[in-house]
Amino acid sequence: MVPVLELRNVSKSFSATAALKDMNLSILPGEVHAIVGENGAGKSTLIKIMTGVHQPDTGEILVDGHARHLPSPQDAQAAGIAAIYQEPMVFPDLDVAENIFVSNRAKGTWMRWGELYTEADRIVQQLGVTLDVRRAASGLTLAEQQTVEIARALSLNVKILIMDEPTASLSAHEVARLLAIARALKERGVAVIYISHRLDEIFKVADRVTVIRDGQHISTRPIADVTEQGMVRDMVGRAIDAFAMKQAANPHGPVLLSVENLGRAGVFQGISFDLSQGEILCLAGLVGARRTDVALALFGIAPATEGRVTLAGQAVAITTPRQAMDLGIAYVSEDRRKLGLAMPMPIFANISLASLGKLLRAFGLIDRRAETAMAETYRNQLAIKSADVRAEVGKLSGGNQQKVMLAKWLETRPRVLIFDEPTRGIDVGAKAEVHNIIRDLARQGVAVLVISSDLPEVLALADRVLVMREGRQAGLVPIAQASQERIIGLAAGQGERSAA
Amino acid sequence: MMPKALKSWEGGLLAIFLLTLAFNAANAPEFLTLQNQINLFQLSIEKIIVALAMTLIIVNAEVDLSVASIMGLSAAVFAYAVNQGVPGGLALLICLGVGTLAGLINAVLIARVGIPSLVVTLAMMIGFRGFARVLVKDTSLGNFPVWFTDLGQKGFMLGIPLSLWLFLGLLIVLGVLLHRTGFGRQVVVIGTNAEVARFSGLNVARVKTTLFVMSALTATVAGLFYAARLGSVRGDSALGFELDIITMVLMGGVSIFGGRGTMPGVVLSILIILNLRNGMALMNITGHIQTGVIGVLLIASVLVPNIVSDLRARAARV
Repeated sequence: MVPVLELRNVSKSFSATAALKDMNLSILPGEVHAIVGENGAGKSTLIKIMTGVHQPDTGEILVDGHARHLPSPQDAQAAGIAAIYQEPMVFPDLDVAENIFVSNRAKGTWMRWGELYTEADRIVQQLGVTLDVRRAASGLTLAEQQTVEIARALSLNVKILIMDEPTASLSAHEVARLLAIARALKERGVAVIYISHRLDEIFKVADRVTVIRDGQHISTRPIADVTEQGMVRDMVGRAIDAFAMKQAANPHGPVLLSVENLGRAGVFQGISFDLSQGEILCLAGLVGARRTDVALALFGIAPATEGRVTLAGQAVAITTPRQAMDLGIAYVSEDRRKLGLAMPMPIFANISLASLGKLLRAFGLIDRRAETAMAETYRNQLAIKSADVRAEVGKLSGGNQQKVMLAKWLETRPRVLIFDEPTRGIDVGAKAEVHNIIRDLARQGVAVLVISSDLPEVLALADRVLVMREGRQAGLVPIAQASQERIIGLAAGQGERSAA
Repeated sequence: MMPKALKSWEGGLLAIFLLTLAFNAANAPEFLTLQNQINLFQLSIEKIIVALAMTLIIVNAEVDLSVASIMGLSAAVFAYAVNQGVPGGLALLICLGVGTLAGLINAVLIARVGIPSLVVTLAMMIGFRGFARVLVKDTSLGNFPVWFTDLGQKGFMLGIPLSLWLFLGLLIVLGVLLHRTGFGRQVVVIGTNAEVARFSGLNVARVKTTLFVMSALTATVAGLFYAARLGSVRGDSALGFELDIITMVLMGGVSIFGGRGTMPGVVLSILIILNLRNGMALMNITGHIQTGVIGVLLIASVLVPNIVSDLRARAARV
């Protein structure tokens, strides 16, 4: 079979750094081809080369067996290559059908609205989903917006669709639907290049898996020949136990944070737990279980309206983040881009942001030297990969951004540290590093609360698991009695049914 | 701290400035005299004072359209009070009180109630102006104490008027404030992403309140200098100045979306605008054409960085 897309010995360097070295890749028509690799392995550059954003320094690109030059994204699209991303781009004020055809200029001067809707409907049905094409895009969920983007690509008759971390922000149900769409595309002869950190999805959907590392092709294997350990070993270049099980519960200190019947009107209610120094408590639950809202209440962003919070024996009412920080509570948000980091600003300014007060000298002047020293300390301690702490945070990889955010909060010397999805969208290696950092913090006596939707992560980290369902506490399980089945059961409300 | 693009942006401004200087010096022999240099500042001194405070507001991703009306109001209040027999010194204090109040009204509506500053200050631009017109009616009010008009018209130290000294002092203070202090860092972070600032424990409302009160106070003082320099006040004094002021700031490379911009850039932009206008005036080019030229420069200044960042973003899109 002639590969629909082939890269031969493609290399690409940015100034002195080689992003891709002699990369070879061949994509067959109608296959789902997964590409995995750690952050910084060269996946982004690879996508940019395939979509015409970057040009290879050397090597060639073949489409349907013919050498093609792709000087721009438009040329890539004309060659049948399109990509969808984690965050879809839709126009909120247009309806679904208009969004699907937005880049597909109508033939002739006038819009033929009737045809537009019929055609949009036909494309959406091919994907095997139900979506009213006359709905305004502003009300669509993230998953539905992705469907619109995929339909848009189909309307352009793509032969190769690249999906870049498409499931990073989707719920389990939506992930299943997206995987079904990928299979539907495949049946229609479209080759899907599937890039994801979630290994379980890859086993569900991929026909072949390519591992890249340090800009080089490491292996391409049919999925039947791939094991999780083998894939991880290829990715990191060494054997690591990515999902190390909890050794034993950490020895805990005295109870530090005590929460009784915490609630916020109309959002969540009846949350009660004790958190000791050195303990890791994980908040598990399905998307929409309101776990983040509990964290936001404890951090004073959206204060609790009922219940009691006791910190080190003192009753406290937390109504602003500043107050929470003064009490020694820190919240590491899940949304780095919107809530966590000032992306266009340098690393050092992000690290010092929550503890600027410490750096102020006479007249409120910032002690630049101390600020740089602070940033350098964390760059070494957390192994943040950047040549210079003056570099823009937005230019770092996801894992390194996560570390910068963590550094910002560590500098506040928290007693209670709340992590919200600490490893979302970061690669296996960085994930293990973040887990180790969290365990170290607990060992040093920090009381840690981790919100995570990643059950293996919950089981690897937690001393106890608090499961939430629809804004209520569904169970509080010690790690010894926790299992994926038990947690999912509680999160989905199974326990209640059997108890009733 | 400063991205490279901004440095080169300021480099560009510096080049334009030097070109303007050379062109003016070649075309108008009287251009380089000290008196002409003082004059060219003096003619716009009130605007450039307010532009310094406006820089911080726009870096904070806000805008204050009410500054010119506050200038007019403060001038009107002073003129009215003096003509009612209030001693000049007390009248000055009343003006500062009115200015603080005006800033607080803006600040509360923007920072506490949460109405966009564009809307709030547009409304206040109309409201404060109306108040000034009610005080002055259709006449003009003068009869200021001599010490007051002297402050606006005569040299204060080394032949340089007090208003220009104030501008220089404020430039240094606000430049250091923006680029070297914790407060300035908060202004920039909030302008970059207010939610990130809030989630980092910054008091966003307090920073915005401080900025809008500062802006109103600066406008108040500038309005008083305007009254002193012209010797009389009308209901439409300083009408439309806000647009010139915002032009100076944006041309200095300050992003209208907040988070980016430097005081040196704004100073260069001010120097370019003043010298360009002065040079054209010395060559007998009419004010309308002068305004047109400034307009073209502004569009270019907003377009160029946008085009550059668009191209960058396109290159960066995965």
